[in-house]
Amino acid sequence: MRNGDGHAGLRARGVGVTLGGRPVLHDVDLEANPGEVLALLGPNGAGKSTLLKALAGLLPHEGRIEIDDVDVASLSPRARAKRISYVPQRSLLRSALSVEEVVALGRYVHGGSFGGMSKNDRDAIDHALDTAHADVLRDRIFTQLSVGEQQRVLLARALASDAPILLLDEPTASLDVGEGMAVLRLIRTLAERNHTLIVVLHDLADARSTTDRALLLKDGRVAEQGDTAVVVSADPIRAVYGVKLIENARIGFEPDPEGTGPE
Amino acid sequence: MRLYPLLFLLLLVAGVLAVLVGSGDLADPELRDTFLKLRGYRLAAAFLAGAALAVGGVVVQGLFRNPLASPSVLGTTAGASFGGQVALLAYGVAGVGNAFVVPEMIVPIGCFLGALTALAVLLLFLRITQDLLALLLTGFVLSALFLSLSAFVTSMAQETWELGRAVVSFSLGSVSGTGPRQLAFALPLIGAALVACWAWGRPLDLLLSGEEEAQSLGANVGAVRWWSAIWVSVLVAGAVSVGGNVGFVGLVVPHMLRPFAGTKHQRLIPAAALAGGIFLVACDIIARVIPSRSEIPLGVVTGLIGAPLFLLLLIRLRRERAYA
Repeated sequence: MRNGDGHAGLRARGVGVTLGGRPVLHDVDLEANPGEVLALLGPNGAGKSTLLKALAGLLPHEGRIEIDDVDVASLSPRARAKRISYVPQRSLLRSALSVEEVVALGRYVHGGSFGGMSKNDRDAIDHALDTAHADVLRDRIFTQLSVGEQQRVLLARALASDAPILLLDEPTASLDVGEGMAVLRLIRTLAERNHTLIVVLHDLADARSTTDRALLLKDGRVAEQGDTAVVVSADPIRAVYGVKLIENARIGFEPDPEGTGPE
Repeated sequence: MRLYPLLFLLLLVAGVLAVLVGSGDLADPELRDTFLKLRGYRLAAAFLAGAALAVGGVVVQGLFRNPLASPSVLGTTAGASFGGQVALLAYGVAGVGNAFVVPEMIVPIGCFLGALTALAVLLLFLRITQDLLALLLTGFVLSALFLSLSAFVTSMAQETWELGRAVVSFSLGSVSGTGPRQLAFALPLIGAALVACWAWGRPLDLLLSGEEEAQSLGANVGAVRWWSAIWVSVLVAGAVSVGGNVGFVGLVVPHMLRPFAGTKHQRLIPAAALAGGIFLVACDIIARVIPSRSEIPLGVVTGLIGAPLFLLLLIRLRRERAYA
């Protein structure tokens, strides 16, 4: 199942979430397919991260979430994690684990509790570190890395699980422009390798440049859904954010083939 | 890896000293065998208790993602200690003992029941809420409850001088009276729980990233917590039954080891078992060589070494973690 060969798509019907007695998500339908990047967009508090966690099976929810017609709720935590990998915005890890040890945590779904790593495990870890450009960090202590480096390691941890579906919560938040661009390029690479990606994004320009389809949330409901170019356009953006969208208004960046970074 | 040769060397030195040092005279041919036997039991008891408490500390620290946690946070140590005292009191006052039950056996059974009682309350509470803070607070409440109950038992035991002395010396922590029957009871308990903790090392690693990440990485968080709590309780009951209520081992040993053995549980747990055992054997040797009218209780030695060391570690930790 390396490189998302599982070709698993994810489908959600009527997903609702109530947190602390307060309904925060209502009746969300969505579909994400292999080889495709789906953006979850919307203002702060619209329910983007809540939706992502519900899709990852981390929150109790109404409705049905399926992976290739299998109800996610019927899966054990291990079976679910084999199919869906969730990358949080920041890790809560505070212990002094090395990068390699952190990435190895992604292999838990494949091994028993006993003993060390198999050759398969080590290969998957090497491959994940390589794909996420985190190989040079291998022996560093995770908590001593920069936010951008940590993000790459968390991506590698998710990749090490070989899950075909990747859910990323604001992967570019608090990264500088170079780091952010490296992560966005990695997201595209993973889509080309037939992973199914659902990505919460804050930056609408990033969504336009990186994602195929988008789901725009407002107050916990779907305001617009479809091709990113259609969703991130004047009318829906004005309706949801109350701002005017101006095409080509921002300065742009692209990787410099002769520069030092990003990778 | 240079850690294990060092640990085994330290174990050898501590073991030899533990057999050679003491108040008895080994030159006396009539008493030599008895002395050696007693010191052997004592060495085994200190090593077992130290190993159990150190690994208990490692597991609890991982479970609560807090390097300053210890088995006593769960209230299990206090529960085991109270259970042991009640068993002593029951044996002494009501004469529970008969041909089949001897005092060496009834104390470990009491410890075990006490630890299990503390655990059962905790697990019942876990069914209501999985909240980590609530769990910690319940542990504190249990600890306080068992400590006050222990004080009550101690005051009751004062009515008979011998019994009072036994209860007090038990609660201070001592491996001097540990015999083969206690060891035979504690060894399989502690051994099995040590192996179980090691086997749960990988899910415990996942828990270091918090409940949500652990769950997303495939851990059954509820089950990991439940079973870890059970193994810790078995370890603590075993340790208290052979060594009394000895503090600080579960806090100090994991901290001293992490720079050398890392944080990964399957590497840290075997090292902690060895180092914890060595630590307590060394503390017991110190208890024997410090000149005093009667022998210094083991719990006092671990406290005198552990408390300042723990404060130093706390300061270092706060420097390392600006947010702590």
